[in-house]
Amino acid sequence: MAEIALRDVQKFFGPNQVIKDMNLVIEDGEFIVMLGQSGCGKTTTLRAIAGLETVTEGTITIDGEEVQDRRAADRDIAFVFQSFSLYPHMTVYENIAFPLRAVGMSTEERDREVREVAEVLRITPLLDRRPSALSGGDMQRVAIGRALVRRPKALLMDEPIGALDAKLREEMRAEIKRLHMARNSTSVYVTHDQIEAMSLADRIVIMHDGVLQQIGAPDEVYLRPANLFVAQFVGSPVMNVEPVQLSANGDGAHVHLAGDGTGFHFDEGLLSAVPRDAGRVSLGIRPEAVHLSHEESAGALGGVTTNIEPLGSHDIVDVRIGEARLRARTPAGFVAAEGAPVWVSLDTGEAHFFDNETGLALREAH
Amino acid sequence: MSAVRTPREVLLNRVAVVAVFVALFIMLAPIYWIASTSFKPRNLATTVPPTILFEPTVAPYVKTFVKRSQLRGPVEEEVYEAAPWWEQLVLDGGEKVVRSPSGEVKPSGYGQRFMNSLIVAVVSTIFAVSMGTLTAYGFSRFKVAGKDDWLFFILSTRMLPPVVVAIPMFLMYRVVGLNDTHLGLIILYTAFNLSFSVWIMKGFIDEIPREYEEAALVDGYTRMQAFFKIVLPEAMTGIAATAVFCFITAWNEYAFALIMTNRNAQTAPPFIPSQIGSGLPDWTVIAASTVLFLIPVAIFTFLLRNHLLRGMSFGAIRK
Ligand SMILES: Nc1ncnc2c1ncn2[C@@H]1O[C@H](COP(=O)(O)OP(=O)(O)OP(=O)(O)O)[C@@H](O)[C@H]1O
Ligand SMILES: [Mg+2]
Repeated sequence: MAEIALRDVQKFFGPNQVIKDMNLVIEDGEFIVMLGQSGCGKTTTLRAIAGLETVTEGTITIDGEEVQDRRAADRDIAFVFQSFSLYPHMTVYENIAFPLRAVGMSTEERDREVREVAEVLRITPLLDRRPSALSGGDMQRVAIGRALVRRPKALLMDEPIGALDAKLREEMRAEIKRLHMARNSTSVYVTHDQIEAMSLADRIVIMHDGVLQQIGAPDEVYLRPANLFVAQFVGSPVMNVEPVQLSANGDGAHVHLAGDGTGFHFDEGLLSAVPRDAGRVSLGIRPEAVHLSHEESAGALGGVTTNIEPLGSHDIVDVRIGEARLRARTPAGFVAAEGAPVWVSLDTGEAHFFDNETGLALREAH
Repeated sequence: MSAVRTPREVLLNRVAVVAVFVALFIMLAPIYWIASTSFKPRNLATTVPPTILFEPTVAPYVKTFVKRSQLRGPVEEEVYEAAPWWEQLVLDGGEKVVRSPSGEVKPSGYGQRFMNSLIVAVVSTIFAVSMGTLTAYGFSRFKVAGKDDWLFFILSTRMLPPVVVAIPMFLMYRVVGLNDTHLGLIILYTAFNLSFSVWIMKGFIDEIPREYEEAALVDGYTRMQAFFKIVLPEAMTGIAATAVFCFITAWNEYAFALIMTNRNAQTAPPFIPSQIGSGLPDWTVIAASTVLFLIPVAIFTFLLRNHLLRGMSFGAIRK
């Protein structure tokens, strides 16, 4: 088990900078999930830690030792690939035993280790099969077994269950969680599935275009997104983000959406870090915090529904207010038809403000 | 699979089946011709129309291996009786087996030529395939400066017919003393086959996901170990296909063997027709030595048939 640290890591492929100024400390026994869109550099970061890719600049340390110039074989790290992870010409048993052959273990000891790992992963009955005779889920189970059998310092997984169907993914997710609990190995897990990230991670690392956007516990990135990208990337349906104007109103301010004369009232306490200059800020609010009502109430703004997306347990309703558009989450069937007038109020405590220029969240530092 | 087919498709399918049989017949006819001639008595070999039904004899095969000379007169009874069965077959044909003063049968030289062919083809195939595989691996996995130019250059060595360089090669070989040596032919055939081998193997190795090797690298193996333990087994289909093609090319090569060798290292292809030279041609012997010559390629191909069938798709649908 080990602590892994990346300091000022830069990675170029030719002229393309794929990792920019990456600083990240992964603590011993921690389960880190890297989340980001396709092409944002997750795999490259993982491969750099494993030693499959050199870094252009910066240092990578494992347990305090600099390893960026060491061969993959000398870093004692295991890697689970998304696909093609098992050798087709070997049986499951031989696949799992393969990493142990590299270190020259006695046959009995090797056999014991392989069987123990197989037991943990519940793949003992499959040991004599060839990978081609396994289901996708079992294949990845074996791949994880091969990674764990050596008891490496850290376990890196690159979308290990990304290629499986939804039901199996859910099962495997639980399995991976259980394994991590049992072995407590330092793990870095790459995915672009938010639910996977939320359910597995001790901390989530969110990346965009090679830049680390935020590191934090799952509820932290959800409740306190550091910037616009994280705000809109995490959570489904996507957070509403609308440019707003502020005008003083009693012991707080009115927050005006484009083309709306009245504005929502926010208490001063919620706005302490928000500048009042025109055109500088955007309001971010999740559809869960947008409430619709058929009756007018104090502070609510009138709007018209433009689209209804039924999702079974609830509906996502688009509402036009002035020139702005907000999406709200309502009970199923709450709004019967498009074009209906509704009254919109906000759960102002759940609102976020972002600087239009930097995209950073405007919030008082604690 | 039993997809719905229209009557038109059914008809086309029938036509295709007939076409396949016609092609099969055209391809097998010469082989049947040679094989049947190799079992005919000499006087039936060149009849017009061809003799279809005859009593097969192995005399041509015996004659293929022993040195013979024309009999001047009829054989004496007791000599004929004393001769072993195979020698009687030769005597029946009006020839006698040439023996050394100590009474040993003199070989025709075919056996030695056959061995030469085997040595040259096997060794040059091993060289071409192993060097080709290593080169292809390098081109497939590493950044090589001017990679595309190198690959084109390698391919370009096949763009002119090899005989074009026969005379300069012959002169060079004479200077360095490689004429009529096994090594000389092995070098030549390896050189012919290498470009082919590099290109085919590159195709196959490109198809092997890098993840396989990378997994081995992470698991504590060196690149060399990863190559031997992972890449080679995975590339076996490609290696088998390439080996068959290289072997056939080297085995069948005629022009260079004719020019570069005459005795010591001569291979079977130039030797077989040279048997026509003395006296009336004995087509049965030529047919018999040709049939024997076909066998190694047939065996080799048969042994590797599973790999070959998969290899035909050039790795496109491997899983
Ligand atoms: N060997 C390479 N040579 C050149 N560019 C590369 C190489 N590997 C990756 N890239 C580029 O680097 C960027 C980041 O790639 P990376 O594979 O790390 O993304 P990712 O976040 O893992 O994406 P995905 O979710 O699709 O797997 C991409 O734009 C990719 O095209
Ligand atoms: Mg990736």
